[in-house]
Amino acid sequence: MNAIELSHICKDFGSFAIQDLTLAVPSGTICGLVGENGAGKSTTIRLLCGALRPDSGTASALGVDVSSPEFLAAKEDIGVVLDEAYFPESLNAVQVGKIMAATYRRWDQALYERYLKRFDLPVGKQFKDYSRGMRMKLAIAVALSHQPKLLVLDEATAGLDPIVRDEILDIFNDFTREEDHSILISSHILSDLEKLCDYIAFLHQGRLLFCEEKDRLLEEYGIFSDTAAQLECLLPEAIVAREPNGYGGVRALVKRELAPVGWQLERASVEDIILFLVKGAKNA
Amino acid sequence: MKVLILKDIYVIWRQMKYFLVMILIFSALPSGFNNTFAVVYAAMLPYTALAYDERSKWDQMAAMMPYSARDIVLGKYVFGWLCIGAAAVLSLLFQAVLALLGSRAFSPAMMAMAALGGLCILAISLPVMFRFGVEKGRMAMFLVIFLVCGTAGAIASIAVSGNAAKFAFQGSALVILLIAAMVLTAISIPLSQRFYWQRMG
Repeated sequence: MNAIELSHICKDFGSFAIQDLTLAVPSGTICGLVGENGAGKSTTIRLLCGALRPDSGTASALGVDVSSPEFLAAKEDIGVVLDEAYFPESLNAVQVGKIMAATYRRWDQALYERYLKRFDLPVGKQFKDYSRGMRMKLAIAVALSHQPKLLVLDEATAGLDPIVRDEILDIFNDFTREEDHSILISSHILSDLEKLCDYIAFLHQGRLLFCEEKDRLLEEYGIFSDTAAQLECLLPEAIVAREPNGYGGVRALVKRELAPVGWQLERASVEDIILFLVKGAKNA
Repeated sequence: MKVLILKDIYVIWRQMKYFLVMILIFSALPSGFNNTFAVVYAAMLPYTALAYDERSKWDQMAAMMPYSARDIVLGKYVFGWLCIGAAAVLSLLFQAVLALLGSRAFSPAMMAMAALGGLCILAISLPVMFRFGVEKGRMAMFLVIFLVCGTAGAIASIAVSGNAAKFAFQGSALVILLIAAMVLTAISIPLSQRFYWQRMG
């Protein structure tokens, strides 16, 4: 079963549009949603959570159509962390806990309190006095404390220091040990996604350019770094995008299967692949 | 819906303390307009809660949580009704104490009119808030409050003057206000739900 299914979703805002977006995330996996600012990541998440109605196409989460009345009950199983923690500013963590306890039927107060302690969150302090990192930690604590099956995270690790970020990535990893638990995470920190994700979905200007298994993506591309003359020996279709390497030569993202046998290509990171693909799309 | 009302109470708890003091001050002032305003002002508390929701973007978060649009919209109405009811009861009690001390006249009918006026304000202005947001809807709200307060205050002044014919007028005004509050609320709630959906895209 797929935890998330978006089928031919279109949503036009005038100056920006999501165009024919089709995406499936298998249950038990972590999918990273990447793209530039304004590529449509947050809009996709809002469409998936039923907070925005598409002009056409269908969306379902955990097997339930998000436009159906049944989706209200299904939201109990979805933990959401947005790019900012949007809790009312005058509340403190205790009051947030009381509101969430009355919101979610499977709210685990003991687990919530454990997260507050683990994240060193001051319980009596008003939310407006929290730092950005503290706010995000509170939002993550809330999302994890109602025993969700699907976590939808929109820039959830932004603003966290590397140590806390690493700890939270471990928590997300632990979360998917249950075979029916899945995560859709959008982030600009591509190294986090490389560490965490099974699938990478790349949105560019409202279109999904690909959604591939991360390992397959890493196998598919390599980095060429040498002279421009040597790069010209390659088939033009093998070169995705190129840039000066800073030493008078060039650096390029190359499709391994189209490169001659024996060519030395460096391992491409997810960040390399995405950056070159964006450059390639802009130069096309 | 109860949880959303609880959230609103937490959010405006600090303002509520000042509001309580304001009710007592306005209730003590010897003027029909002031006494009416104390209760009608309670109808503004849902806008304060809505403004906090918008500022913190809670409305965006709530749309992704297991709250129905009906609960989100109706929660604001019920919160407003509770505020108006509580303000009317408090104001009435305070005026009763003042009347017992012999310092002024006591008029439960005037309070009832103020409460019904508050319900009318809520019913007229909440759809505007859901359609345009608190920032843009604020001017419309102040205009409505001024008109309702002025009318209710004028009626209240006639009511406390002691003339039998004027008491009959007061009774008619109460019935008209009651019908107006019921009709406006019945139209207002589905309209607010529709505007909420439009605004959420």
